[in-house]
Amino acid sequence: MSMSMTENRQAVLARASAFADEFLEPVAADLDSTAKFPQALVMELGRQNLLTLPADSNAGLRAHVEALRIIAQVCPAVASILNHHALAAYAIFKWGSDAQKTAYLPGLATGGTLSTVAMHESGPALGHGPEALVGSLAGGRLTLNGVKSFVRNAGAAHLYVGFASVGPAGAMSVAGFVAASDTPGVSVGPPYLTMGLRGCPVADVTFKNVVLEAGLLGVAADGADMLAELCSVLALGEAAQTTGIGKAAAVHASAAARHRIQFGHPIAELQAVQQLLCEIATDAHLAWLGVLHAAQLADDGWPFGVEAAMVKSFLGRFGQKLLVDAIQVEGGLGICETAPPHFKGTLPLARMFRDIAGTTLCDAPDDFPEGLVAASF
Amino acid sequence: MNLITPEQSAIQQAAKDFTAQHIIPKARAYDVSGEFHAVLLEEAKPSRIFGMAIPQSYGGLAYSPLTQALVLEEWGYGCCAMATTLAASVLSMESVMLAGTEAQKQQFYTPMLNGKIGAFCLTEPTAGSDVGGGRTTAVKTSAGYTIHGSKCWITNGGVADVFTVFAKTDPSAGMKGISAFILERGMPGFTVGDDENKLGLRSSNTVFLNLKDVKVPASALLGQEGDGMKIAMQTLDLARPAIAALAIGLAERALALCIAHINARFPAKPFPGQALQFKLADMRIQIEAARQVLHHMLALREAGKPFSQESAMSKTYATDVAMNVAATAMRLMGSAGYISEVGKLMRDVKVMQIYEGTNQIQRLVVARATLARPKTAAPALEKAMAK
Repeated sequence: MSMSMTENRQAVLARASAFADEFLEPVAADLDSTAKFPQALVMELGRQNLLTLPADSNAGLRAHVEALRIIAQVCPAVASILNHHALAAYAIFKWGSDAQKTAYLPGLATGGTLSTVAMHESGPALGHGPEALVGSLAGGRLTLNGVKSFVRNAGAAHLYVGFASVGPAGAMSVAGFVAASDTPGVSVGPPYLTMGLRGCPVADVTFKNVVLEAGLLGVAADGADMLAELCSVLALGEAAQTTGIGKAAAVHASAAARHRIQFGHPIAELQAVQQLLCEIATDAHLAWLGVLHAAQLADDGWPFGVEAAMVKSFLGRFGQKLLVDAIQVEGGLGICETAPPHFKGTLPLARMFRDIAGTTLCDAPDDFPEGLVAASF
Repeated sequence: MNLITPEQSAIQQAAKDFTAQHIIPKARAYDVSGEFHAVLLEEAKPSRIFGMAIPQSYGGLAYSPLTQALVLEEWGYGCCAMATTLAASVLSMESVMLAGTEAQKQQFYTPMLNGKIGAFCLTEPTAGSDVGGGRTTAVKTSAGYTIHGSKCWITNGGVADVFTVFAKTDPSAGMKGISAFILERGMPGFTVGDDENKLGLRSSNTVFLNLKDVKVPASALLGQEGDGMKIAMQTLDLARPAIAALAIGLAERALALCIAHINARFPAKPFPGQALQFKLADMRIQIEAARQVLHHMLALREAGKPFSQESAMSKTYATDVAMNVAATAMRLMGSAGYISEVGKLMRDVKVMQIYEGTNQIQRLVVARATLARPKTAAPALEKAMAK
């Protein structure tokens, strides 16, 4: 894997950094406290050509994860909006019909059309709960009934890329679809109050007798493979966010340790503190190399699902710890959501502690990346 | 090991009932608003539970340390923010119990038997782990002392009626110059800052206290001048197990929520896959081990044996276990965990790894005890090696 920067990726990184500094830094804390969907930031991401990098043959997944990591260092919630939007764009770019690409990709690139993926259901497995999303196919027409749960960007999105169970009981398969949010029968439930990533809305999306005339994504029989690939891409995006949060936390905690004087010296001089800081930086860095490797494999056309699962499994074990330890270094100030009167400066670690829990989740108890890794041997 | 008596079992059940009825139903709303759960003090008043550590001769419940831990674990299961109000009030009182005169005990215990609470005021902006780094001073006057300075991160500080406050009577003497005082709410110059907006334990009252030339009588001094550090350290030794008990309750709650979710999600399966089973088993093993470390430490204390190191161990281990159990529960529950009570548990326990002495300070205590050279003559082997 080449570590050198292409000119194109360098330009993407520069745009992502400038966006994070200029537009995100001033509003990240407010976005967390108001949880109001940041429409203007989405449009700005569009102006910066950052919204659909995985669907851009001049950019790709590696450029996308690099941009996500930089954005997540400042505001993981906006990174999460971007990640789910870009994932839907990736699906349409890769498997959509010419008509779907023409209809949707330009709007997805500018931000005029916001999209997301609807993968999860409340049941034990896809197609198995009482509210499972079930589709019936007749020719090219797909009729949908059921609920997709925990859909990010729900309510704000104009377009859903989703998956439904189709076929007779006992021989069900999964089909992908593209549905506009204003299709009759599509409705969005109340937003959930989430622990973090606030500003990136989450809700259930209900499909009631929704008829899609030309909404099938790719070939119906490929649905399960498409879903698996999207899960891998999503995992890489979330891992990029996690490592970005970890890097930012290490930087913030190191500065706090240099400023905090106890026993006559900065606590940064204590070995126990240095060890915590080193572990945060090391775990985030090594995981990031794993993300880069998997993304480069994808861009080069190789399978990358196992590598993505390894990263997900690794960060499942070490992701939350990045912030558990960073806050430990900052101590009492680390648990402040807003700065107390006797402190001047910003205190982002409490927010990042809540955010990183959302970027290291398994999506469900049956989401088991370890199984994928083990099966590969 | 301790097996609890029927009497303790009844007290534990009463605490469970109180938690189910008064704590669990309210915890989430208070967590969201961050407002102090004042109603809890009213509801707990008939049980006089805030006086659970007070000796019978003063009208208290005189619960043994283990019995107190059983109650705190149940409260911690319900809500560690609310349980912290109780634990911190008991903590403030331990200093008086250790060093107070009869009159001081009356002064401190009476409000607690009447639904009021106390606060322990040690930390300052410059003095967290480094307790000796404080700048609050107490200058002796003909009428008593004048206390000047500030305190931060004070649990119950805005809602307590009685306070134990640490200040330097001899700033040149370092830790030996610290003394402890009893203050009361509303003394001229003693004012309360805004509530801190915290990640966790959100409805537990945490404030900055200003002490601007607060005049206290000579009778406010706890113990002798210069005893402050000793009193503070002994108090914290007594108090740390309370945090361990809270953390164990919190971890039990995280495990219970996780199991309930898995059962609901896989209703037809008696057992989920091994990967889940083993994680759940590890959570159970860690919780039980943490409880036994705590109960062993309490047994040492009740037997009159040294327990300072074990106190540090129990606080560190239980809060680290609780953090791990809560974070694991969150992961296993996935998106459902992210919108559930488990998020609150994770946020709450993060604070608990820091307050009452960070887990790093506890490790220093344990490491120093572990590395301490024996005071008796060196064993023969070491002598031989020294030659």
